[in-house]
Amino acid sequence: MFATRAQPVASVLSAGVQTRNMATLREIQLRLNSIKNIGKITKSMKMIASTKVSKAQRAMETARSYGATSAAVYKNANTVPLETESNIWVVSSSDRGLCGGIHSSVAKATRKLIAEDTAPVAGVVVLGDKAKNQMTRSNRGDIKLSFNQIGKAIPTFAEASAAADTILTSDVKFDTATIIYNKFQSAIAYEATPIKNYSIEAFKASENFTAYELDEEVLENYNEFLFANNLYWALVEGHASEMSAKRNAMENATKNAGEMVDRLTMTYNRTRQAAITSELVDIITGASAL
Amino acid sequence: MNFLARSVRAVRPVRMVRSYATEAAATGLRLTFAVPHQTLYKDASVAQVNIAAVSGDMGILASHVPSIEQLRPGVVEIIENAATKKFFVSGGFATMNPDSSLNINAIEAFPVEDFSAETVRHNLAEAQRVAASGATEEEKLAAKIEVEVLESLQAAINAK
Repeated sequence: MFATRAQPVASVLSAGVQTRNMATLREIQLRLNSIKNIGKITKSMKMIASTKVSKAQRAMETARSYGATSAAVYKNANTVPLETESNIWVVSSSDRGLCGGIHSSVAKATRKLIAEDTAPVAGVVVLGDKAKNQMTRSNRGDIKLSFNQIGKAIPTFAEASAAADTILTSDVKFDTATIIYNKFQSAIAYEATPIKNYSIEAFKASENFTAYELDEEVLENYNEFLFANNLYWALVEGHASEMSAKRNAMENATKNAGEMVDRLTMTYNRTRQAAITSELVDIITGASAL
Repeated sequence: MNFLARSVRAVRPVRMVRSYATEAAATGLRLTFAVPHQTLYKDASVAQVNIAAVSGDMGILASHVPSIEQLRPGVVEIIENAATKKFFVSGGFATMNPDSSLNINAIEAFPVEDFSAETVRHNLAEAQRVAASGATEEEKLAAKIEVEVLESLQAAINAK
């Protein structure tokens, strides 16, 4: 009888919470603890990401100017891809998750560019497991090569040239290469951007090519060198974008966890108060009934 | 004629002084010198740059003929208005653009005076040993490249 009377009181005060007070309190306590723990974890992940951001950003600055100096030749020569050339798509991402939409951003951009491009597709090469998962969904047949173990630390030039070498010596035949990476725009913004690596033929056919003096043999080496440079640039800048995206994602997660903790604490206290009130009511009504 | 113009071998000091007084004053050579992990010069105005290319050593001044040169392991000497800096590079490319800007992309580059002659000698002996008696063909080739780099490095240190 007491129990039936206690019920409405409790449910009014703790709206939406189950009426079995003791169990509910327990449950809320458990959830509260687990969310507090998650908040602690995301907070420390945010700290780690923030320390990595500044390092990655410094590396990006140098990699960017390194890449830009090599790209200056194409710009000066006014190179455009030839019509009939096949193109290979290199998607630059990493193995690590928990960093917002960084991987889907490159994957989406690649899909869009492949759909828009008229050149025959020689294949897709994916750097990083996360983007590989996304690309297999739409372009399973086109994926020729994939690399993993990317994104633990700042990518080195040795890694980039190893990847470039593997792509160049593989069975995949291609003329031009387009590398898609996340361009670092600001600490909170990134955008998937392509870098073009032209073929030797396209470079020879370009408008101001005749201004340059060079040996045939050097040109081939230079083109391979440029490919490695561009790959390095894409990897390092992608890494910087990823780290700042990770920091933002973790910051938001920490904030959300904090909000949930506040809300749950409120519910917990209300439920506890309700339980006490209902027990008091029981005692008082019991006493007055005598 | 062009060949002569671009492969001016390490010019004599007298010429160097004159070249910087006349050439650099006009438009100036703008140098960007970068290695993957560091930007050594960024669009800096310099008087002359001497590089060791595969096709021969050359000195580059402002309004040099546009060209693409592959660097061999050797010294890149940068003559600024007051001082001269020497870097040893392991390899890379130099591109001279029509707008008088010179881009040098190297894999590794360090000032010559930072190398320890002792260590170089030690490593060279080690590399020569491997080159002569390496286990696999690949290993021997890698050691031969190492010997080549170290020999030119040693030459650069001794020339200092």
